[in-house]
Amino acid sequence: MSLLLDVKDLTVRFALPKPSMFAPTPHLEAVRKVSFQLENGRALGIVGESGSGKTTTAMAAIRLTHASGGEVLFEGEDLLSLDDEAMRQRRRDVQLIFQDPYSSLNPRARVADIVREPMDLMDIGDMESRTKRVKELFELVGLRPDQLNLFPHQFSGGQRQRISIARALTTNPKLLVCDEPVSALDVAIQAQILNLLAKLKDELGLSYLFISHDLGVVRHLCDDVAVMYLGKIVEQAPREVLFDHPQHPYTQALLSAAPSLARRKSKGYVRAMKLSGDPPSPINPPKGCAFADRCPAAQDLCRSSQPVLEARAGAQVACHFPG
Amino acid sequence: MTALLEIEDLRVTFNTRYGEVTALDSVSMHVNEGETLGVVGESGCGKSITALSTMGLIPMPPGRIAGGAIRLNGEDLTKVSDSRMRSLRGGDIAMIFQEPMTSLNPVFTVGDQIAEAIMLHQKVSRDQALKDAIALLDRVGIPSPDKRALDYPHQLSGGMRQRVMIAMAVSCRPKVLIADEPTTALDVTVQAQIFDLLNEIQRDYGSAIILITHDMGAISEMADRVAVMYAGRVIEDATADQVLDSPQHPYARGLISCIPALGKGAQQDRLAEIPGVVPPLHMLGAGCSFKERCSLTNARCGSEKPQLINHGAHPVACHAAEEGRA
Repeated sequence: MSLLLDVKDLTVRFALPKPSMFAPTPHLEAVRKVSFQLENGRALGIVGESGSGKTTTAMAAIRLTHASGGEVLFEGEDLLSLDDEAMRQRRRDVQLIFQDPYSSLNPRARVADIVREPMDLMDIGDMESRTKRVKELFELVGLRPDQLNLFPHQFSGGQRQRISIARALTTNPKLLVCDEPVSALDVAIQAQILNLLAKLKDELGLSYLFISHDLGVVRHLCDDVAVMYLGKIVEQAPREVLFDHPQHPYTQALLSAAPSLARRKSKGYVRAMKLSGDPPSPINPPKGCAFADRCPAAQDLCRSSQPVLEARAGAQVACHFPG
Repeated sequence: MTALLEIEDLRVTFNTRYGEVTALDSVSMHVNEGETLGVVGESGCGKSITALSTMGLIPMPPGRIAGGAIRLNGEDLTKVSDSRMRSLRGGDIAMIFQEPMTSLNPVFTVGDQIAEAIMLHQKVSRDQALKDAIALLDRVGIPSPDKRALDYPHQLSGGMRQRVMIAMAVSCRPKVLIADEPTTALDVTVQAQIFDLLNEIQRDYGSAIILITHDMGAISEMADRVAVMYAGRVIEDATADQVLDSPQHPYARGLISCIPALGKGAQQDRLAEIPGVVPPLHMLGAGCSFKERCSLTNARCGSEKPQLINHGAHPVACHAAEEGRA
């Protein structure tokens, strides 16, 4: 397996409004020294609550958000230090699927034009070969050729997400960043899209950076999983290890909160682990472990010193007292 | 025993540019005191219209209740006067909406909004109502409720806003609480908190809860009984265990098997999927409305509409189940 993406100490900082005219600009660290690796043909799932920095991490990794520090090696080349034109050429290899299939397609363009546009912009092939490619992609994602000249509003949510996927595949990318691609869809449609993504991964050898808050979805599609909390990865492991033996208390709480058919009210199911409260504010992060205030296993050490990611039982965990 | 809330053969139609469209077609369901009824189905199946009809919130016109009855303790809500409905709504029967940001008023503090609901239904002074509002905020687990009562909705997180909605809904100890996808906009950890809170409220007040959701996982955790809806009809009606363990209707079976499993060691290669989408209501033809998406369709499904009948296990509207082909 060759390494496709190697992210080292990625940091994203946003400026906040100044409290007064002469005060220094305060900053918010949305992503704090995040490192991960993605191999060719694999899918890495990033999970966490809203505000945990999962989308910002992915966007900074593909340079759609400005990173304040760190390195992103894509096939050994640092994306963050490329000049604009070199980065533009690199974008062929990195494509994106958004969460909301309603707002991410131009309502005034015909879908064939929407799918063709990346090839126009990248100047790939001639008009004839582009049209042919659009037809192929339509078939690949499960749309009919007679739908080529329709407008986005004539499609259902699931079909629109198929159009987004077709558009993302036009440039033959190596990496597909999927930002909550199924969370706006109904469960039955969600299964259709997940099966399509799994099929594309096998057939085209794509790699996914898959952002989701739904653990079931991540478990289904991803080979490796990283759990984020307040801008940091708190646990990272291959799928089976993470789901069968979660070690970080936050991962355990997430798993315990996710609804599952195995938990029955009739069998007197009571949630094993309850999380109260909300995550702390990233504007003023706590000195110790960010999860300490909500953690049932927290001790004095957790409030004073920040745990770092360490290898433990086949996973990487950032916790002083992993269970 | 008569049910606390009973919906019988409810038919709701809307005037649209396609002519009169039947949004609910002889929908029947009931819920008893202290019980949770789960209503499950995809978008466009009539779940929310059922809830809004029960609350008397269907805009008329274009909507019209064309038949059937909604009985709360024997009183038919489709026939009561507007003023009687106003006193029942928020009093005996209350609703929690999906999007807590758009259902709270942005220009009043949350304390004021809860107090308003209390003063509408109980003869109390404004001061007392505000005190009650703070007690309710405390009850739904909001820290430092006396301070939070002075906050505006935009100052609260999504989970806190949904707690405020719940506080408002339970302010008059409703007999029936309708929760329309109360956690769709929230994170899983917050969803778990809201579900736990709803269960506590039910234990303390003995309210009946109607939980509307598209998530069979939520049904499994929360519901005692389930009504599965498809294209404006109830197609399966049973206890949660019956539906989850031995679903009779192909649609119910599809809804269950298309969820990626989370349990230990669970791993499917491919998810079962239901092909296609819910048909638009104005394009429903003769026969079963699920026939285009179903793998068990035969000639009878195309011509004859299946009725919700008990063929052995529990009521289901499916010819295949009736003929033992399911």
